[in-house]
Amino acid sequence: MTSKALFVGFASAGIVGVCAFGALSMSAPTAAPVTRSWWDARADSAQDAPTASKAAAAGERTASRGLALFARKAAVVGPEGRDVIDDPVVLVKDGKIEAIGPRATIAIPDGYERVDRGDKWITPGLVDLHCHIAGKSFLVNDINDMVYLTNPELRASSAVEPGNPNLKRAVAGGVTSVLFIPGSGTNMGGQGILLKTGLARFEEMRIRDPGSLKLAQAGNPERWAINPGRSFMNWNTRSTFTRGLTHAKLRKLDPTLARNIQWDAFGPLADHTTQVSTHTQIFQVVLTTLTMVRQGFGLDVYIDHGEWFGSKLAAMANEIGVNAIIGPREIDRFTPGFSIDTDGQIQGIAAQYQKNGHQHIGFNTDSPVVPEEELQVQAATACRYGFDGTRMDALRGLTIVPAQTAGIAARVGSLAPGKDADLLVCDGDPVDPRTTVESVFIEGRIVYDMRTEERRW
Amino acid sequence: MISKRNNIESLVASFALVFVTIPATAFAWQDAGGDEKKDESAEKKKEEPDKWFVVKNAEIHTGTGAVLRDAMLVAKNGKIDDIGHDLEIPPDAKVLDAQGMRVYPGLVAISSSGLLGPTTSDFGDTVNPFNSNMILGLATGITTTGSGNAAVKLKRFSIKDLVVREKIFAVFSWSARNPSGKRSLREKFVSAAAYLREFRDWEDKVKKDKELKEPQKKNVDTTVLAVLKGETTAKFNANDRDDLLGIAHLAQEFGFRPVIEGCVEGWTVADELGRAGAMAIVTARDRRPKDEALVRDGGSSIENAAILHRSGVAVAVVSGTESVDLGGIVGRDIMALPIEADFAIRGGLPEDAALASITTTSARILGVQHRVGSLEVGKDCDLIVVDKDLLHYEAFVQWTVVDGKIVYDKQKELYFAHIRPRPDAPAEPKKLDKGETEPKPDADKPKEGPEEGGKKGDGEKKNGDGEKKGGDEEKKGG
Repeated sequence: MTSKALFVGFASAGIVGVCAFGALSMSAPTAAPVTRSWWDARADSAQDAPTASKAAAAGERTASRGLALFARKAAVVGPEGRDVIDDPVVLVKDGKIEAIGPRATIAIPDGYERVDRGDKWITPGLVDLHCHIAGKSFLVNDINDMVYLTNPELRASSAVEPGNPNLKRAVAGGVTSVLFIPGSGTNMGGQGILLKTGLARFEEMRIRDPGSLKLAQAGNPERWAINPGRSFMNWNTRSTFTRGLTHAKLRKLDPTLARNIQWDAFGPLADHTTQVSTHTQIFQVVLTTLTMVRQGFGLDVYIDHGEWFGSKLAAMANEIGVNAIIGPREIDRFTPGFSIDTDGQIQGIAAQYQKNGHQHIGFNTDSPVVPEEELQVQAATACRYGFDGTRMDALRGLTIVPAQTAGIAARVGSLAPGKDADLLVCDGDPVDPRTTVESVFIEGRIVYDMRTEERRW
Repeated sequence: MISKRNNIESLVASFALVFVTIPATAFAWQDAGGDEKKDESAEKKKEEPDKWFVVKNAEIHTGTGAVLRDAMLVAKNGKIDDIGHDLEIPPDAKVLDAQGMRVYPGLVAISSSGLLGPTTSDFGDTVNPFNSNMILGLATGITTTGSGNAAVKLKRFSIKDLVVREKIFAVFSWSARNPSGKRSLREKFVSAAAYLREFRDWEDKVKKDKELKEPQKKNVDTTVLAVLKGETTAKFNANDRDDLLGIAHLAQEFGFRPVIEGCVEGWTVADELGRAGAMAIVTARDRRPKDEALVRDGGSSIENAAILHRSGVAVAVVSGTESVDLGGIVGRDIMALPIEADFAIRGGLPEDAALASITTTSARILGVQHRVGSLEVGKDCDLIVVDKDLLHYEAFVQWTVVDGKIVYDKQKELYFAHIRPRPDAPAEPKKLDKGETEPKPDADKPKEGPEEGGKKGDGEKKNGDGEKKGGDEEKKGG
């Protein structure tokens, strides 16, 4: 019963977002680490240099011999993740996918370890772009500081706790990459970070920092100190973007200009090396996302935590390149103030986005609202309520679509040569809740194997 | 004056009529719930023609392990009369053509809230058979639910014969946090068992010595006694390993089969629970971290249902939340009951046991397996027609049948009709009927469900206008 009560707590937290928890400790902002600040390290990562050296380091750690993985089926294959291969073999070397193809077409180099997983499926690791569980989550207020109404300077990376129990279960559920983001208690919660869930050290986990600037346009920030309304929030958000982007622009013109760390995130945003992940839902709010952030400021932005009747703007969002990541709610029914235009039908939200012409639809959990390891249920539920997943779009919505959306498709999201060897070995389609994820590889290393260790999920 | 008096008299008469009829009907409903009136209803049915209901061309999953392909199920007056191939379709039968569909027993939810309306007791008076949650429950495939301490059918449009069983459980507490509670419960079992032994002994001896005194029932807990006599089922709410072990030992010592709800750490003591003949009510969605201070296994496990099942514990699966929840996070409320079974499969439970966990096993735990939970001759004709494997996440219940009446048709209800609409071909049933002996080909249309529902059952006619109005309101409200 306690777990049920706990869930009710989470569910209600889902409705008000994470701000309910944040409100408890508004007056206690987290202290930044005293020693070598992580943002110095971030300055390195921003130049994209460590990627190669990191892979080399990974190669050193793993056996230098490669791995040839055989199975029954490989899904989400190719840079775009549109292919399926029967009787595939995947060659893994130095943490990367070296080659993938039908058995007959791939020559196995000498010295490679051959592992035949029989009738299993191989798929890329799942990617979740809305996650709050890489730290202490809500046990302490580590990611939902609600000091100002916009806090673009705060960093979720300061809260990362490698190998915490939630991350361990996430790995066992097949979720290998997440965007760990601040809560939506304010309009700008801060900077998210893209992480590999199953690795042991922060430096290894980090895919990109900032992974995004978390924007919450409405739905939760109304609860902030003075209960602001949408027009004030929109003005304030617009004002913050303007100041931040102006600072970034001026620094580009004049590198000697003093760095203002409050506007750090806007440099990569202006360079299009990171995105705005927007907690946005409801028609007007999604419209503001599209017109203000995408069209007004020209930033890369996506609908994250997409719910309710934002789907009416699906065609427009698709046209201007704003991907839709749906969840944690997957169905919609008449709710005063949130959705209209339904006479009581139960609508699948992803189905509505798809029907209205969106072609880039993914799924998220908002963990712990939905447990991270249940990410695939979000896609399954979307399919149940009308989303057409017949051309692997459900599985793509858990892998390559979010990877492309977050700009990390060069590394994760599908099975293609050159990408990170983040692989799942499953006994069927990972979208099906009945399917068991048996083994998980991240960057060529086994990080979870159901056959040799206790099951986590 | 005369006319006035006449008026008054007639007024009084009509009042009297109202006062007489209302209690009479009320009693009629109540009585109908019990088993005593069976004879009377049987007499009535003799007067009326038998009501036949047939499902044909279906892949019938009986819930007993058997799967009959391209088979038929024939029900007479709400009870299953025959299941098989090439059965004769009686004249005037309602025929449901389930071509390409699968038929399963109606699901039995161990517990739910809201499906019957805002009620957990006095079902005859308080059930709302028109409420939208009941429709969504039927859309999930649920035809029987535990509610309060009773097992109740989701009989849409009718409040007659709702209750299958009452006073199912005697709920006990057994917790390490309450040692004195444990001790006093044990004492109750000890004294009740002692009394029962004396009583049985007396029963035996009194046949010879008729003057022998019956042992005194003083200080004997009647609830515990009922458990030991097998008249009621002992139910515990327990999750901790220590508590589960204690319950298992108590059950073995005193010889009863406990039902354990929660049972989160059951997988760590599965063998003991199996030996005690325990029955478990679990969900795979529990998240409970292991206490890091302990060396032993602990916390929740996805494998819980599977390990318990392997150890001989009868496992029923329930959803994370008991109510229909459309505003919250989907995939966790009562509408996701089959998905819950899916998670048990993910944890290693065989698919047949997973199906049983929401049909036969849950019926067994509620003690109503003689009526519902599987499709067998003589049981209630409660079934669902599903467009694919029930445990597949895209499967939609197309028709729900309770007591041989179609009470839910996906294409006739607002909620899901637009999602993968069923390709209804009205011409098809007629074509298929050619080889069969049926006086009324029209009766064969599968679409007739709601009309039949609209006609409503016997109880409906008796219940009069008030309820029909309620129905209209509900339709408007929806």
